[in-house]
Amino acid sequence: MTLPASNVPAVLARLGPLQVQARKVMEGVLTGLHKSPHHGQSVEFSEHKEYAPGDEIRHIDWRAFAKLDKYYVKRFEMETNLRALLVLDASGSMAYGRGPMTKLQYAAVCAGALAYLLSRQGDQVGLCLVGDGGISRGVREFLPFASSPSHVQELLHILEGAQGRGPTLLPAALDFAAEKAGRRALVIVLTDLFDATDRSIPALKMLRSRRHDVLLLQTHDREELEFPFDDPTRFLSMEDDRQIEAQPRQIRASYLEQFRSFLENTRKDLARADVEVEQIATDAAPDRVLLKLLARREAA
Amino acid sequence: MLQFAHPAYLWGLLAIALPILVHLFNQRRPRPLAFGAIEFVLRSQRQKARRLRLRQILLLALRCLLIAAVALALARPSLKPRGVEAAQTSGPQATALVLDASLSMRYRVGTRTLFEKARAEALSALERLGPDEPAAVGLCAGPAGFAAGGMGAPSFDRLAARRLLQSAQPTYLASDLTGCLAAAAKALGESPVAGKRIIAFSDLAAHSIRLDAPPPLVPPAANAPPGSPGIRPNVVLVDAARASDLPNAAVVATAVRPSASLGPRGYEVVATIANSGAQMMSGLQVSLKVGPNTVAKGFVDVPARGTAKKTLGAVLPPGVVGGRVELARNDAQGLDEDDGQDFVVHVPRDVKALIVDGAPASLRSRDEAFFVEAALAPARTGGRIHAQTLDADAAANAPLEGYDVILLLNVPAPPRAFAEKLRQAAVQRGAGIFIALGDHVDPDAYNDSLGDLLPRPLHLIKTAAEPAAQGTEERAARFGVVEWTHPLFRVFGPAEREGLESARTFRYALLKPEGQAAHTLASYDDGAPALIEKPLGRGRVLLYTSTASRTWTDWPIRVSFLPVLQQTVSWLADALEQRQPLPAMVGQERTLSPPAGARVEKVLGPDGQAVQFRRETAHPDDAVVALAAPGPYRALVAPRGVEPREEPTLTFVAGLDPKESDLRRVDEAELKAQLGGAESAQFAASSAAAQGAHGTPLWSGLLLLGALALLGEGALTRK
Repeated sequence: MTLPASNVPAVLARLGPLQVQARKVMEGVLTGLHKSPHHGQSVEFSEHKEYAPGDEIRHIDWRAFAKLDKYYVKRFEMETNLRALLVLDASGSMAYGRGPMTKLQYAAVCAGALAYLLSRQGDQVGLCLVGDGGISRGVREFLPFASSPSHVQELLHILEGAQGRGPTLLPAALDFAAEKAGRRALVIVLTDLFDATDRSIPALKMLRSRRHDVLLLQTHDREELEFPFDDPTRFLSMEDDRQIEAQPRQIRASYLEQFRSFLENTRKDLARADVEVEQIATDAAPDRVLLKLLARREAA
Repeated sequence: MLQFAHPAYLWGLLAIALPILVHLFNQRRPRPLAFGAIEFVLRSQRQKARRLRLRQILLLALRCLLIAAVALALARPSLKPRGVEAAQTSGPQATALVLDASLSMRYRVGTRTLFEKARAEALSALERLGPDEPAAVGLCAGPAGFAAGGMGAPSFDRLAARRLLQSAQPTYLASDLTGCLAAAAKALGESPVAGKRIIAFSDLAAHSIRLDAPPPLVPPAANAPPGSPGIRPNVVLVDAARASDLPNAAVVATAVRPSASLGPRGYEVVATIANSGAQMMSGLQVSLKVGPNTVAKGFVDVPARGTAKKTLGAVLPPGVVGGRVELARNDAQGLDEDDGQDFVVHVPRDVKALIVDGAPASLRSRDEAFFVEAALAPARTGGRIHAQTLDADAAANAPLEGYDVILLLNVPAPPRAFAEKLRQAAVQRGAGIFIALGDHVDPDAYNDSLGDLLPRPLHLIKTAAEPAAQGTEERAARFGVVEWTHPLFRVFGPAEREGLESARTFRYALLKPEGQAAHTLASYDDGAPALIEKPLGRGRVLLYTSTASRTWTDWPIRVSFLPVLQQTVSWLADALEQRQPLPAMVGQERTLSPPAGARVEKVLGPDGQAVQFRRETAHPDDAVVALAAPGPYRALVAPRGVEPREEPTLTFVAGLDPKESDLRRVDEAELKAQLGGAESAQFAASSAAAQGAHGTPLWSGLLLLGALALLGEGALTRK
């Protein structure tokens, strides 16, 4: 599968508003889909599910409880439409990026394209913008599920206005998202997962345990992946007031080792919890990343 | 203490500031960067912080070390010898290497002598000279300063200088280090190189240095304006003894003299032992050797810095006897060469004399032979002369074989047979005949009987004054002309001659003028012969024209009679005690004068090998020998065209200069002052230290250190 060369981030960044960029990416994805044996998605099943915090108590199957002495939530309704919640991390670290796009801009483009794609096939899509100073702890803005074009435009508008600042509050936001997602939904989390508290991964697992389909798009800048610095540098934290002076050449090996270990552990840890992880660099073409992702999900 | 040949390069040490500034700059001016993944930076930095800091400090230290090592190496540092306070010199220097080759440098410390150590130091010093530094080498020995032709102008012929040093050997001579330094300074004046330096390798014995002499001065260059002062060279004195005391005991003098108490040919040898050390030497064994045999031993205590005499006695064989006095020393340390001293003594042979008493008397003092017997008594001759007295009749019938000398005292004209026996003894055996006159002598009968035995025929008896008469003493004859150089009278010094000249003779025989072979040894003031001799065959006849008793003269009661008679008997027997050879000293020249008619053909040194000698135009038969080694020297002489034979009378011993046995060190402060003060003079224990002012013993090490620092820096930055 080949992609138009025009959809690399360096070109996308020059396309102006996010709507244009997202649409361009969506078109790239669709072009790819038309050339592939992809027939869309559907989710149909009915079953009991073990109760987890956040499930509605009224859906508990008391008969099953009487038999098995365990709480099960009864899933008897057929879900005909997919509900997807885009959770976009807008913490300070996501504002990093000295290339054409910051991580936040790149993630917003991806989120916008996904919103286009989902609404185009009639699925409902919502948005949870993770950050401080918003409507709830960890949630800067929240847009409920809907599928209308105007809803998508509003979503894109929020994405465009998103600014990376403050600490990573992803665990709290994920709790919020789990509450708001209600019944089973596709939760797409776009973040770098730079969480000083190390509570983001348990939160993701918790989300998955509540029967949500969780997809993590872990976004990193190329410089974060390769640490190409040479000169003595005072590294400043983008989320708090921490700083450190270092000789990059002297710590590069150690940094890369730790970063690789972080990526590997994240991937393995979440894979064990059946959370799909896609680790992407911001210099990769977004439509190619999304196409690859969709192809893999279809195959699964 | 460090000193530098090119101190200007030390400014390069300021470059150490560069790595420090770079280090500080890196530390204080990092580029700020807001970074998303700071958590990983923090973790990495925490993990490596301590090691990184250590590495940074190490890097800084290595870079500083590298720069410092290079700067210091360029400045050519060296370790200054202990105690050196002299001015430093810079640039190339014309260098005179003065190696003390005197006797005292033979002093042994451990397995090596001071000379061997000094020579090794001098060779090292030569190797360390820079390629732009000319060098001259001189061996300091002997009163003339440098041995072997003196010191030439400094040159770049290292090979010749090295050969000279390698082949250098210590001498037995004394040295004049002060003179050598002055000569070395003069030699340095011939080099155009501006820097002047003298490095002397010596034991710094006080005797070789004259503290009252002017300091050595390099004469001004030839193109210098008139009146330019000389240049004071930088003098480095390398102490071969390394400032340690050098205790030494030595035999500094030996005197040999006859000792009557030891019997015939008994001699006592008086050895003077000197101790130059600070500790008294007790129980030092002294032995006397004659030939290979030790004939006497004794012990002596020698006070610190003092001398002691030890007398050893021995009976020596007749002839020329060589002996040696030796000290027995157990320590390996010391000067071996002065532990003994040779001597040569001419021991006269025994003489058997027959006294023919022509006027025996029952009263001993009236006896004609009384004074002669007294003079030849064993107590007075050391037993060398065995005299027997017979009256004239007994003597006429006695065999004369076995007698070396026959003395006829106032004997009436002997029968012809006896006269013939006398002639035979003289002519064939070489016996000596002494004839003294008296009242029993009839001149005509004597002439008749003895004939040519008499040096000259008797003429008549002259009475100058009546003996024992009042007022006649002034008219008595006195000895007028005396051949003082003759063996008979050689014993008289000018002061003692009065004892002979004051003798008065009242009556004596006048002689006829015949007899050309006769030789007058002494005559009276009227010119008449008193003592006249004539060779007869292998023997000699000596006629005394007066009496050997007080009958005609009062000489027998004078003190001069006894030695003259003893000498007469020995001379007539050809057993005269030779005058002991004058002492000679190594470093001097000795002229060997052979007996008349002979020529010195060969001179044998102490080792038995022929030594070189020269002849003087004025005395072509003599040999002038330069004495290079201590010990006995022998001469072979011969008339021209005859096989040479050893001439014992020319044998002599060359001794060592006793000054060289005194190894007390010169006072450093005084010597420094003499050499021009601390500005110009240094003391050093080794040549490496001596050349510290200009040497390069440290810079190569510093460069190595710098290279290691560079390697370390590279290894650290590559990580």
